[in-house]
Parts: sequence; C-alpha cells; structure tokens
Amino acid sequence: MRKLIIILLATSLLWIWQGSVIMAKTNISFWTTETQSERMKTIQLILDTFEALNDDIQVKLIPVDENDLPTQMAAASAAGNIPEVIEMGSELAVTFGSEGIMDFGAHEAVINKIGRDDFFKGALQLTTSPSGQAYALPYHGWVQGIWYRADWFKEAGLAPPTTWYNILKAAKHFNNPAKNKYGILIGTKPEGFAEQVFTQFAISNGAREFDADGNLVFNSDAMRETLEYYKELQKYTPPGPQTWRARDYYLQGKMAMFFYSTYIMDDLSLADVAKGSLTGENFDGLGGVGFDSNLVKNTKMVSSFKNTQDSSYGVIVTLGITKAKSASKTSAAKRLVRFMYEEDAYVTFLHMAPGGMNPVLRSMAQSDKFMNDPKGIFKHYGKDKISEIIGGLDHLQKFEIVEGKMFPASGEIFAQKIIPQMIYKTIFEGVSTQAAMDEAEAEMRKIINK
Amino acid sequence: MASHPGSLAQQEARFGWKTVAPSLLLIALLIVYPVAYNLYLSFFEVKLSGQNEFVGFNNYFDLLSDRAFYDSLTVTVIYVIGSTLGTTLLGLGVASLMNHEFPLRGLVRGLVLLPYIAPLISEVFAWQFIFDPVNGIYNHMTVEVLGISDERVNLIGTPGNALLVVIIFDIWKNFPFAYLMILSRLQSINNDLYEAATLDGATRWQRFWHITIPELRFVVGAIVMLRFIWNINKFDEVFLLAPNVKTLPIYTYFTAFTGTIEQGLAAAIAVVQFLLLIGLIFLYIRRVLKW
Repeated sequence: MRKLIIILLATSLLWIWQGSVIMAKTNISFWTTETQSERMKTIQLILDTFEALNDDIQVKLIPVDENDLPTQMAAASAAGNIPEVIEMGSELAVTFGSEGIMDFGAHEAVINKIGRDDFFKGALQLTTSPSGQAYALPYHGWVQGIWYRADWFKEAGLAPPTTWYNILKAAKHFNNPAKNKYGILIGTKPEGFAEQVFTQFAISNGAREFDADGNLVFNSDAMRETLEYYKELQKYTPPGPQTWRARDYYLQGKMAMFFYSTYIMDDLSLADVAKGSLTGENFDGLGGVGFDSNLVKNTKMVSSFKNTQDSSYGVIVTLGITKAKSASKTSAAKRLVRFMYEEDAYVTFLHMAPGGMNPVLRSMAQSDKFMNDPKGIFKHYGKDKISEIIGGLDHLQKFEIVEGKMFPASGEIFAQKIIPQMIYKTIFEGVSTQAAMDEAEAEMRKIINK
Repeated sequence: MASHPGSLAQQEARFGWKTVAPSLLLIALLIVYPVAYNLYLSFFEVKLSGQNEFVGFNNYFDLLSDRAFYDSLTVTVIYVIGSTLGTTLLGLGVASLMNHEFPLRGLVRGLVLLPYIAPLISEVFAWQFIFDPVNGIYNHMTVEVLGISDERVNLIGTPGNALLVVIIFDIWKNFPFAYLMILSRLQSINNDLYEAATLDGATRWQRFWHITIPELRFVVGAIVMLRFIWNINKFDEVFLLAPNVKTLPIYTYFTAFTGTIEQGLAAAIAVVQFLLLIGLIFLYIRRVLKW
C-alpha cells in the first residue's frame, strides 16, 4: 500500500514538472473564419511548421463562423480571454480596432518588416485608421461579381449584366417559377451576404453612408432608389429570404445570374467540389442534375456594373493581433503573423481556395509558385483573368472609404447587420421603404453617437 | 450520548447541513448566482470594456416603450399556447390509440418515440431540406405531382408561415413526451372502473369523459405545466429552424449579441420573461390545478 502511494506521488510530481516545462512555452490562440475541415487541416499544417521552427511557441487553432465572430468576441472579451491572432474581414478588424482591442503598434512593426510598398495600396487603405494606424494587416481578398449564363444570354439576345437596366431585364426574362427557373440571386436574409450585394448596387448609384466630411448621408434619394430597385429585383429570386447558399441553384442549371465572390471558381470548374451543391445522384425523382462540365465555359462574370457610376466590390480578409496580456505573447503573435507571409506558408494558405483567396502582396501575385495551383483551376480561367481579378483588389469600393478617407463607423454598421435587417424588413415584413430606411438610419446614429 | 438528547439533535442537524451543503453550494453557484447577476445587469448599460454604467430602471422603460418587445411577446404567447396544446392533445390521442391491443404494438410504441429522441440538429436539417423552395420534396409534391398549388413557396423562410411551421415542428418533436407520460398513467387505471361503468350502461365516450379524463388530470396538468415552462424558454428549436420567429428568448439573443449590442436591455427582457413565467405558473397551479 505504502509503495503504491509513493509511486503515485512520484508520478504525479513528475507529471506536474513536465507540465511546467510545457507551460514555459508561450501559448497563443489563433481564430480563423475558415471553418471547413479541409481548410482547418491546411492551416494546422502551416501552424505545425511554424511550431517546429519556433519551439518556444504553441499555437491553438480555433475555428469561428464569420457570422458569429462579433458575438464570440463579445463573449471572449467579457470572459477576459480574447485570442492573440484573428483572421477576419476588414470590417471586423476596423470594428475591433475602434473598440481598442487591437494592437496597432504590433501591426505597424510587421508591415514594416514585410515592406509597406509590397502591399496593394487599396488593400492597405481598408485597414488603416483615419489617423494612419493599422487596424490589422491585409492578408487575402476576393472580388464580388455577377456570374451569369453567357450561353443563355446569347441565345436570348441579351446584353451582359453591366447596367441596372440590363440586369433587371435579364432577371425578368429568365425568371420562370412555373418551370422552377429563376432570374437572379441577391441576398435577402439578414446576413452579411445581403449587405455585400446591396453595397455594390448602392455605390453604383452614388449612394453612400457617409460624405467626405463624415456626415451620415444614408437616408438619401439615391439610397431610396437603390432599395426600391433591390426590392424589384428580389421578385426574380427563388422564393423567400435567400443567402449565398442558393448559388446551388445556379450549379443545378436553375438560375441565370447570381452574385458571388471569386470563391465560386473551383465549384464551377471541378466536379468534385461541385458535388455538395448537386442533387442528381441522391434524389432522381427531384429532377436533380449532375455536374455540368460545360458550365465553366458557359459562365462569365462581370465584376463591375453601373447605374450612375461604376462600382466594384470585394472583401479584404486580414490578420489582426490583439493587445495581449504579456510582451512574450505579443512577440509570439508578431512572429506568427510574419511567418504567415513567407512564400511557402502564404502560397499554401492561398491555394486552399484558388480564385477566392488572392494575395495582397505585389511580389506574391507575380510569383510562379502562386500561379501554379495544385488543382489546376487557374488554368481553366487563364492567367489574364486571374491577374484582372487580383488587380481588382487595388481599387475596391466600400462604404468605409470616401474620397480616400476612412470611416470606421461603417465597419461597425456592417458588423451589426443594420442594412441586411433593413432589406429583410422591407421585403418580407411589410415595412415601407422609407420606414425601413428611417429605422436603419436611427440605428446607425446610435453607433455614431456612442 | 443518551444523556444529552439536545446535543444529539444538534449534531444531527449539523450533520444534515453538512450533507446538503455541497448541493446547496452547487445550486447557489449554478442557479442563484446567474439569476441574481442577470437581475443586476438589467439595471446597467453594459459595456464590453467592462465599465458598466448604472441606469436605474431605464432599460425597463425602454423595453416597455418598444414595439418590437410587444410583437415578440405576442409571438411567444401564440407559440407557447399552440405548441403546448398541440403536444398535449396529440400525445393524449396517440396514447389512447396505443392503449388498445393490436399486432406489433411494442414496435409501434417504440417508433412513436423517434422524433423525441433523434438529435435536434439532424431533424432541423431534414425539415429545411424538405421545405426548400426549389429542391425540396414538399414543393415538388404540392406543385408538380399533386398540383394543389401552382406556386412554389418558402414555407420556413417567409415570416408569415414560419411561426406555424415552428409550432408544428415543436408538436411533432415533443408529443412523444406527453404520449409516454399519459400512456403509463392509462395503463395503471383500474379496469374494474370501466367494467362497472359498462354494466351501468355508459357509452364509450362517457367512459372516456368520466373515468379516463379525471384519472389523467394530474398527469396532463403536469405535462401542460412542464411544456409551458420549456416552451417559453425554448431557444434551440426556434433559432435553428427559423430565427425569424422572434420569441422572447430569440429576441433576447438578438438584443444581446447583434445589432447595437445591448446586454443590459437583454438582461431586462430575461427578467421580464422570468417574472412572467413565475406569475403564470403560480396562477396555473392555484386556479387550474387547484393544488
């Protein structure tokens, strides 16, 4: 009995000692919005490599759905355990930065180490505060556009959807609910997707949240006109509130146009990736369809369209470092972020979603390693198209940036889904256009006056 | 020892306290503290930075002048009454059926429990897939096969229908609970009562009304009360299936975590919901169950 106790005691002491050796490592956590298991595996691989090269640091990878990120951060900061490094959209970086959570100094240091001039100016602008500080580091980005059935358009003799008039005309033409075919997909569920689509329409009509002096000018004639147009267009989408998921209907040949980011490029060209969106194999009776290998040929994309002015929209995803509890954590976080920009790590990351994740460093955009993606997706589209898409990241238009000036409140307005709520209410809850806009404007004022 | 009865009683009392102390501590920690903290928060404007500002009853005043709160209250009342009545009545009906002898009764009795025991998330996905406006089997049947309707609808997504769908989902998912409780009570009703009634010339309906129902009274009373409590507080089913149905818990969630994040106000909603629940249950026990 006595022996047993001694052995137990000894092993537990050894265990505690071992534990303290492990404790000597600096632990940091990394939140990512890439929640799919395949992407998680790739990121874990990058982090494992980083840990192998830096054996004093341990990184814990935590996936967080991008729609839940503000909620999760609110909960984490209330509990006092926010992550050290976050991968997130630039709007959220701006929001968290304005709330005083992000470590501007750490960002500046890493940007300077990488070389400020190597970053696309447009991308950097979206993550820089009005006083010139970095809310986060731009990491990768995508461009939004209207993807459409070029073959159907040609057959019907319709012009590409490059103007409000063309878009509406084509949506009306192809919409045929009786045959279970629809004209266009725009976002109407109160989620981020609705705001992304709506923003491009608003900007193409010259409607803004702020003017160059920082006055809230949301409730304008141009914005009302945009919302009215959006409601009209909604009549030609599949029934009920819809979000990005309805892009499946396009892959199934049931829709003529849809708004989407360049993330769709692999679904269009690779049967394996598209499988999740098709119903043919499992439900014959439902009139499902198999993979259409001609779809990639028959699909074209316009990334810019206009009513009164041209508009292009996209999202920059950033890496942000939070104000950590200790200097060693900050230093570990900086080393991790710096590592993420090294060619091998960076290209590995970007190749998780060729087309969707595009580099924000000039040097990387021209790198052969990047252009040679493992699934050969870039080949389907050609180097010119890819370069055009990446080039788009340099002149994105968003509500946050007015005449080169940054308005952080816009990021919070995005995070709080005020515009998607407005769209949902006026389309599905019978609130009038004006009342919905007034309500949205009042919510925006609350944020500004906080 | 026997000569000090007082001290023995004291010792026993002390021992008694010691034995219940861990449970008391746990209850205090897990139930009393969160409720008290929520009450405390409802008097503050909660800031994420931790520097809360005392605002007295302002959150409550804001709440009582908010149209969305009354809408949410109405939705909650419809949801709770609809789902509680539905689960209880369906449970009663199915239990009465299952109380009769028929072949494979054991198997059928087991199968009826399936919706209650299957994981919620898989059921929600199945329902969403069934009612998908473009690819779902429901629209395929009603529009293309049976031709009942000539228009495809998004039953779950459209706010007008969503409440009804959520109520039906709750009834379907939770009626086996009522069924199980009622069936076990039915089986323990003494058959002599029915035989005596039959001899006295009572019809089938009279036997159900004058014997079965009174015998079931307390079981049904308990089921209604439990379902009432659970459904007022129900979050997961509604949020996963149709978050556009803003019952009080969903409304609290949206207030606390989205839009202009207002956790003090959300705490106030939770307090109101808590008081409402306690008040209604008190009334129910006194007036309806007469316990």
